[in-house]
Amino acid sequence: MRANLASFGDFRCAHCHALVSSAHLLSGVNNRNHCPYCLWSCHLDLFAAGDRLSACKAPMRPIGLTMKKSRNKYQREPRGELMLVHECTECRTLSINRIAADDDPETVMAVFRESLSPGQRVQAACQEYGILILKAEDTRIVQTQLYGHTVEVPAMSWR
Amino acid sequence: MNINDEDDIGVVFRKTLGHYTVRTHGREIDCGLSSLIHKQLIFPTADPTSLRHRVQEVREIDHVDPVAIGDRVRYAQAGDGTGMTPLASTHSKEASGVIVEVLPRDSKLSRPAPVPGQRVFEQVIVSNADLVLPVFSVASPTPRWGLLDRYLVSAEAAELPSLIVINKLDLAWKNPGFDEEIEIYRRIGYPVLLVSAVTGEGIDELKQALQGRQSVMVGKSGVGKTSLLNAIQPGLGLRVKAVGKGELGKGRHTTTHLEMFELDFGGTLVDTPGVREFGLWDVAAEELVYLFPEMAEYVGQCKFGLSCQHDREPGCAIRKAVIAGAISPYRYQSYMKLREEL
Repeated sequence: MRANLASFGDFRCAHCHALVSSAHLLSGVNNRNHCPYCLWSCHLDLFAAGDRLSACKAPMRPIGLTMKKSRNKYQREPRGELMLVHECTECRTLSINRIAADDDPETVMAVFRESLSPGQRVQAACQEYGILILKAEDTRIVQTQLYGHTVEVPAMSWR
Repeated sequence: MNINDEDDIGVVFRKTLGHYTVRTHGREIDCGLSSLIHKQLIFPTADPTSLRHRVQEVREIDHVDPVAIGDRVRYAQAGDGTGMTPLASTHSKEASGVIVEVLPRDSKLSRPAPVPGQRVFEQVIVSNADLVLPVFSVASPTPRWGLLDRYLVSAEAAELPSLIVINKLDLAWKNPGFDEEIEIYRRIGYPVLLVSAVTGEGIDELKQALQGRQSVMVGKSGVGKTSLLNAIQPGLGLRVKAVGKGELGKGRHTTTHLEMFELDFGGTLVDTPGVREFGLWDVAAEELVYLFPEMAEYVGQCKFGLSCQHDREPGCAIRKAVIAGAISPYRYQSYMKLREEL
């Protein structure tokens, strides 16, 4: 197959050049949207995820994290799914994408840390799209979503 | 057998498994195929002026079927001419003539026909046509616009005009986004005719468009090509089946052979069996962009000029036109898919 091909198949990341598998078993998503190693994406979708109708095809930079509200109103904690926010490096379109099962959590955390001090342009764009970028006070939520719950075990005393 | 000059030329109207019905002077003749058509005789070129032509080699010509519907053919009658049957008594099981030559074609609509275990051959769907009618239905089955793009590109490659016919207008309520989708093709300049074989809407306009022309209907199984034919000219006695309910609106292949019908009001119409897959034949990747009329005007304006693949190259005029809304993203996607196949 051709490198960087806009398709549903395996591809080579245009940013870090790693070979990326589109297997559902690895990613847990139907349409692999971004590279699991560097989290960069490509502007391929236009109207809906996986439609591959965009002619822009420019690289998309991960600029931050946001939270997708869960539809389950009966769950114990009112939180949703952690999502990646990408910005097209050419046409500046923003898109929100699911984090795949095999996305590198350290890189996701690095994106989160970088997004804590966003530039004015990114702030304005997020406001225009109505996207709430997670802030420093959301660190615990991000960590929990990426690494699971941390349970504090009480110290054992032998006496 | 005797072969005259003009008397023994006819047009192939029907074909089923090695049997060809040739119509000439108001009569129909069942014909077989001369083995000469399958072969090419190779003569020595050392002495082209030699009077005695000695055949050096006989080569089999690679094609699925050398004779297509609409072909003008020269045939040889069997015996004393009793092979000529009046129109009423057609479908004679015995061939009463042999096609010996296919005369040069004015046009041909082809597609690649994969033969298992062998390479891909050209399959001429119809020859000498002067109008292509891609037939789709508003719903049941819902239109596959990518397939329409393939038909349109094939017609453009054959330098034939197209008239997009959308049938089952009576089911428009099932597909609310349909108007917007068909508008894409109107904006490009393709004529679109909305018809209903059930209510008769648009049938008169369709008749007008077909009058005096040799047209060919292409489309997926179940879109109502045969129903349209019956609506255009009642009494042709063609079989029509309802689209299968348990098959997700897929057709059931009512028409299983190719046939050309003579229309009472002048002209002919070829009904083709439903085609789910339609590849491009003899189209080079570099030529493809010229077969999308709305893209052709941007060719040469890209940063890399004529070398641009219109994929990811910076400064591509066609991609810019798609982003600006001048070219439909769906058409651009069709272009990219077809280009990958070539």
